[in-house]
Amino acid sequence: MSEQETVTIEVDGRAVEAVKGEMVIAATDRAGIHIPRFCYHKHLPIAANCRMCLVDVEKAPKPMPACATAVADGMKITTDSQRAIAAQRGVMEFLLINHPLDCPICDQGGECELQDLALGFGRGVSRFTEGKRSVEDEDLGPLVATEMTRCIHCTRCVRFLDTVAGKKELGGMFRGERTEIKTYVGEGIRSELSGNVIDLCPVGALTNKPFRFRARSWEMLSFPAVSPHDGVGSNMELHTLRDRIMRVVPRENEAINQTWLADRDRYGIEGLYSEDRLERPMIKEGGQWREVPWEIALRRAAESLRGVASHFGPEALGALLAPTATLEELYLAGQLVRGLGSGNVDHRLREGDTSDQAEAPPFPYMGQRIEELADKDAVLLVGAYTRHEQPMINHRLRQATNSGAAVMTLNPRRFEWNFEPVLEHAVAPGRMVAELAAVACALAKGGKGKGADLPDGVEALAAKSETAQRIAERLKVAERPAVLAGNMAAGHPEAATLRALGTLVAELAGGPFGVLAEAANTAGGWLAGAVPHRLAGGAEAPLSGLSAREMVERGLRGYLLLNVEPEADLWNPAAARQALSNADSVVAITVYAGDALKESADVLLPMGGFGETAGTFVNSEGRWQSFRGVTSPLGEARPGWKILRALGTVLELEGFELDNAEEVYRIVAAACEGVAPGSRYPFHKGAASAGSASGGTELAGAVPIYSGDPLVRRSQPLQHAAIAGQAEAVAAAETAGRIGATDGGMVRLEAEGGAVELPLRIDEAIPADTIWVPAALRERVDLGPPFGRLTVTAV
Amino acid sequence: MRPLREYVRSFLLVELLQGLRVTGRHLFKRSVTLEFPEEVAPKSPRFRGLHALRRYPNGEERCIACKLCEAVCPALAITIDSHQRADGTRRTTRYEIDLFKCIYCGFCEESCPVDSIVETRIDWHLMESREQRVIGKERLLEIGDQYEAQIAADRAADAPYR
Repeated sequence: MSEQETVTIEVDGRAVEAVKGEMVIAATDRAGIHIPRFCYHKHLPIAANCRMCLVDVEKAPKPMPACATAVADGMKITTDSQRAIAAQRGVMEFLLINHPLDCPICDQGGECELQDLALGFGRGVSRFTEGKRSVEDEDLGPLVATEMTRCIHCTRCVRFLDTVAGKKELGGMFRGERTEIKTYVGEGIRSELSGNVIDLCPVGALTNKPFRFRARSWEMLSFPAVSPHDGVGSNMELHTLRDRIMRVVPRENEAINQTWLADRDRYGIEGLYSEDRLERPMIKEGGQWREVPWEIALRRAAESLRGVASHFGPEALGALLAPTATLEELYLAGQLVRGLGSGNVDHRLREGDTSDQAEAPPFPYMGQRIEELADKDAVLLVGAYTRHEQPMINHRLRQATNSGAAVMTLNPRRFEWNFEPVLEHAVAPGRMVAELAAVACALAKGGKGKGADLPDGVEALAAKSETAQRIAERLKVAERPAVLAGNMAAGHPEAATLRALGTLVAELAGGPFGVLAEAANTAGGWLAGAVPHRLAGGAEAPLSGLSAREMVERGLRGYLLLNVEPEADLWNPAAARQALSNADSVVAITVYAGDALKESADVLLPMGGFGETAGTFVNSEGRWQSFRGVTSPLGEARPGWKILRALGTVLELEGFELDNAEEVYRIVAAACEGVAPGSRYPFHKGAASAGSASGGTELAGAVPIYSGDPLVRRSQPLQHAAIAGQAEAVAAAETAGRIGATDGGMVRLEAEGGAVELPLRIDEAIPADTIWVPAALRERVDLGPPFGRLTVTAV
Repeated sequence: MRPLREYVRSFLLVELLQGLRVTGRHLFKRSVTLEFPEEVAPKSPRFRGLHALRRYPNGEERCIACKLCEAVCPALAITIDSHQRADGTRRTTRYEIDLFKCIYCGFCEESCPVDSIVETRIDWHLMESREQRVIGKERLLEIGDQYEAQIAADRAADAPYR
């Protein structure tokens, strides 16, 4: 506010500082003076259609809406004069004309803005004797429940979907008293941010569908938490009732998620109490699962791990850790495996190429703060569909495009964005390296490169590409450019080269390069030493082990799994299944006991799920956010760090005499002191093969928005959402024609892992010679990695 | 003087005769003791006894799980779990009253927007174990069904004064 011009206005006799040009209500909100309102929201454009915020402005002939009246120096405003109150009461009477009196069965009851203000400004008895209007409901999908008779037409939801979520999915139909808020074509809401309309709705017209009628706002306790679903670390509140988490609402944090929350963060919790939740420790004896007390299970787990280490050597033991685990759990798991003499620890489960790990920065850093993304004027996304990967990052990119930024993509397909990318470069995954190298070359020739000469070998990689040229030209004229590598880049078999080239492109363009973390603690895993080559804080590990991909593909004798589902969480699920069934012992510390896990594991230790464990997540911008466990773990489950501590103690390892999670936090924090974030991945000649040989058909795929982690995969409302992915093969018409397959017909896909049959859908968003198959789905496990070569035949 | 008078009175059995006079008077009066349980005292329609959940004449339970009674209960005796029934309506899956906690204040009845939870005239309810102090939805509806005629009559009798 310091550099902006300020004016002083007088509100109810109090002097209030206001920024020139802002609306009265913004200034009074900051000063803590309450003006009633329904349609005004600080992050939405002003509509001034509810008229509830009418205030008395001196010299004005009639009351003015505070949300649409700009401040002027010396303005005198009264919010509680007789005229203002009379105006507000009048508006309230009109609003209540058509509002049903069904508060007792309305889910908004108790947290309803209309209810609250009706108490202050409503009449005790209605003077309206005519019939009330009633409106037919529309099905908006599995996430948002509607009761449109209650709607007061504030249009917050309409404005949100239009200006923030980016698609005009709701609108006001008809006129006057017959106005209805509806979808245009009755398709429901497809936005990945749709749940926010629930918070925005001041009445009970739009409510949380899965949460419907479950609890009342006044009986729940609220605890702060951090979203476990992506690398953004959205702040949220968990509402609990009788030791169960009932719902999630956003917690305002202007630097991360503002007042919003992605649907994945809001509804992911619906998977917490799923039927396959593991509540008691189990061991497998003679192929049969048996529930046992903790002591026996722990002893059995310790024996198996020790047994493998002494029988086959410690290097035959490996730990696959979920990147959604807390910093504390990741650290202890690393310590445990290293204590047994093995260096095979990794949490980068879905990464295809980690060959640059020795020179990698201390953790995958997005190169800037999340807020800063909104100020960019050119962004190149490499292997990123941020809209589904990190919705809140995408929200910032959309803000940037609103002020004219050019977002360009280099992806293995085109996507459905909620803004207009100036350029979508869709190429077969094997060509991504060549295209990115071409961008770097084109940038270097232009001359803006600040002393960063093109390293040897980049030119040899580069393809001849006009589109790459255009990307480079746009980056060249940008003042605040950025290059971001997303989840598809991380899962690419040549991810290291993509990162190095991305660094190069960013340097040549004069902006930061950033890696967008896939999971809540992808960054935290690096800092906690859950990578094979580094200890906590980035210190060189004395014995370097195998990466997650290597552990799976080479096959070890014993595995420790920390909340990992082998068929969905790993880069190569086919190899993972093979490796785990071949292993002599698999100890799984897990929240859920899925069928695949029950088949391969020997010991299942129940771990507290989300909201049941204290811990810390480090997000993409390197922000450490700690949270408490808010309910007790289900059944006999225990927080993950306690299980690891107990296991470490049973194994008689050192450094496991810990009293609480904060102690673990302090150890990691001390180790990470002075760790500076960086996102520079150096380029080395010969590190990459110059584009894969052409001719064949390539497989490409990304994890669908609601398949990323065990929790969200079990959330039924999300799985039924329109944008949840389904197992299918998608190809352009030309590619399909070559195979001889038709839209809707079955095709047989054969990759190195195995073969699957899937229905084919024709979509021109897929580049030529590429078959798009969403990753992490059970139906496509046999295909193996998300990228690679494959042969396709029509069935 | 006084001690002497007291001394004489004690020999004349004056106090005993005074006491016997009360006894004698009551001996011929109408007895007020009720032979409980054969006889019970009359009750006001506003009597606040054991709770009941009522139904509409078509058999549909009245309760809509608004949870106002749970919120207003000063003794935290009411516990409600709610859900969306298959027909889309808001209903309770659990409605429990802890009769040890309950202070029979009648707030639950006052707060109920659909006259579902009521306090009946039943003041004679006993339990054989501590567990029975919590009565659930089925039992409450059962009581409601059994005494509906009286419950309705009581509300009607009280209605002019509300």
